[in-house]
Amino acid sequence: MIESFLIAWRALLRGHVLTALLVLAGLAHAFLPFIVRSDGTDVGGREMFLRAVPGSVYSVLCVALLSCACGLLARERESNRLALAVVRPVSAFTVVLGKLLALVAVAAIVLAFNSALTCARGGWKGCVHVYEPVLEPPEIAARRAMEEMLKDTNTPQEVRSAPRHTLLTILTGREIDRYDTVPASHAIQWPFASEAANAATGLVARIRFSTQFNTRAEVSGAVTFGPWSSTVSNNTQSIIELPLLRTSSANAEGPLSPFVFSNKGTSSVMLRPRCDIQVLSPADSFAMNILRASCEMLFVIAFLCAFGLFLSSALSRPVAIFTALVMLLVSEMAPAVVAQYPDALDLSFTDRMGLALSRWITFATSAWSSPQPLSDLATGTCVEWKSLLRTFAVDALAGPLVFVSAAAFLVRRRATASHD
Amino acid sequence: MNEPVIQIEGLHKTFRDFWLRPVAEAVRGIDLTVERGDVFGLLGPNGSGKSTTIKMLLGLLAATAGTIRLFGLSPRSRAARARIGYLPELSYLHPFLTARETICYYAGISSLGRREAKERTEELLSRVGLSGVADRAVGGFSKGMARRVALAAALVSRPELLILDEPTSGLDPIGTREVKDLIGALAKDGVTVLMTSHLLGDTEDVCTKIAILSRGRVAACGRTTDLLTRTQDARFTIEGLSEEEAKALADELSTRYGKPVAFDHPSVPLEKFFAEAVGAAHD
Repeated sequence: MIESFLIAWRALLRGHVLTALLVLAGLAHAFLPFIVRSDGTDVGGREMFLRAVPGSVYSVLCVALLSCACGLLARERESNRLALAVVRPVSAFTVVLGKLLALVAVAAIVLAFNSALTCARGGWKGCVHVYEPVLEPPEIAARRAMEEMLKDTNTPQEVRSAPRHTLLTILTGREIDRYDTVPASHAIQWPFASEAANAATGLVARIRFSTQFNTRAEVSGAVTFGPWSSTVSNNTQSIIELPLLRTSSANAEGPLSPFVFSNKGTSSVMLRPRCDIQVLSPADSFAMNILRASCEMLFVIAFLCAFGLFLSSALSRPVAIFTALVMLLVSEMAPAVVAQYPDALDLSFTDRMGLALSRWITFATSAWSSPQPLSDLATGTCVEWKSLLRTFAVDALAGPLVFVSAAAFLVRRRATASHD
Repeated sequence: MNEPVIQIEGLHKTFRDFWLRPVAEAVRGIDLTVERGDVFGLLGPNGSGKSTTIKMLLGLLAATAGTIRLFGLSPRSRAARARIGYLPELSYLHPFLTARETICYYAGISSLGRREAKERTEELLSRVGLSGVADRAVGGFSKGMARRVALAAALVSRPELLILDEPTSGLDPIGTREVKDLIGALAKDGVTVLMTSHLLGDTEDVCTKIAILSRGRVAACGRTTDLLTRTQDARFTIEGLSEEEAKALADELSTRYGKPVAFDHPSVPLEKFFAEAVGAAHD
């Protein structure tokens, strides 16, 4: 495997791929901050920088290495060099794996360089753990609501005859956006993990308030969460980050602790429990967060490169590159299409087909496209170890293992480009 | 154990298109046996099935029917592949690697240890006469130099069976002579060689056995000397005989045996003459 790694590494090095990517990363850090504009605030500036600069380096890296992966095996097969390798006592799996590792090594170097340049800019704040209410999954609540709706004799016939998955998608969306109303002088509570309540210092409640008529009405109230509490007085901000004070030394017991909001204002307050309430607790430094985010990016690139090598083992170089880039684009766009059109009831047949395809692609790619390292990094959210391990298992191990095995199978079958 | 190195029985290969319709029947029932130490020449015009047969021997193509055994093993088995060296018709080298890196790479994928690979690489670089350019990228090499690198790569694992597809293609006469000498030396060391070539003179010089393929079938097969020697005719070479003496001797023999007698003057093969001339110019 080391020979296969070395040969692909030398190809990338002597083909100036690594140099070009490092130069591009350097140029992005030097010039992009002067081109992109933020909202003028410190927080907005940091977020915009992280999305634009390391984000563009990551995007270029994905596309460049995917294209390289698509070329590596196809070029060797087309020039019959692959046949020379596979007639030796070496398994095709190790040949393909060596090439994948070389691509991942290039990605690791560029991402490390990218992270170092980002950290060197300075002025970064540590990241936070983000906790959300522990609620029933929206799909389950939606399914229950659908069953009730179908039992109800007043439900219109066109809803009854609609496809179940369409109803489920619509009801799931509604469940996610469901508002809980807190009338004046009333309180409401949602369960949170006690782990959040038992944090040592610096808890912050992030709440997005709405009233029935607008999102900037005056809100007054009190928040208690385990041993923590705070008050909101005449706040007109849509989103507030409320520092909580520890008022008791006793820790919360049991797995869940209630987060209580008491409305002490004069009008009702509306809150979406799945979207509007979060508890933030300090995690660790920006450097550690960008390290974890870079690891997640690396794992996603490993997956993409393995996919590229798989295509490259079966298709010619230009066809493999074209197919890979189109699939990458479609897999990035499909979730947005699905989110935009949750309701397929009023669409024409061709639109329905397009939507069905988008849904299928979203479903098929959801396992590996779920990590959002850049988004987490930009919003100061901690890239959790749990998420990192999951991405490692899915994107860096399981996915590549499947693609490399499939590529190795095809390499042995298609090692010769021509016959007698 | 006197097991044949290569045993091919009833080998057929039909190429099919996407819809599995037969497109070309490249090999139509070949039976061949190659014994240890043979230098076996596989000859035939273009499209006779030589390359297809070699690809099946290397496990790169699956046979439609028939069996191939290498050292009694399947050609796709790792154990069989570990005992084979292969030189393809075109050198197919990685242009960005140096000669040393190329040979080292093939040593590595042939399961040689790091140190052994290094030693073997230096030995082969010297043997194929490329020590002086070992650190130059092979992309800048002439066809002949690239051929030498490919040959060294084929020999790197000390194979028991060496499959050479047009081994002298692209080489100058001196390079050709060196390769032929190398094949002879390898055969003396017990290495079995299977080679194809369009240069019949080269094949005749080095092959102890030949098989001629035509349209996917074996048209002739046997020991080179047996196939090429006309035992019913005789030829004498007498040193220092003048034209008149030769004519007189021919007349006498013709009269004695009542058969026509022809004579000519032996000539030096052009390859030998060329080597001598170039050697003299270098001196």
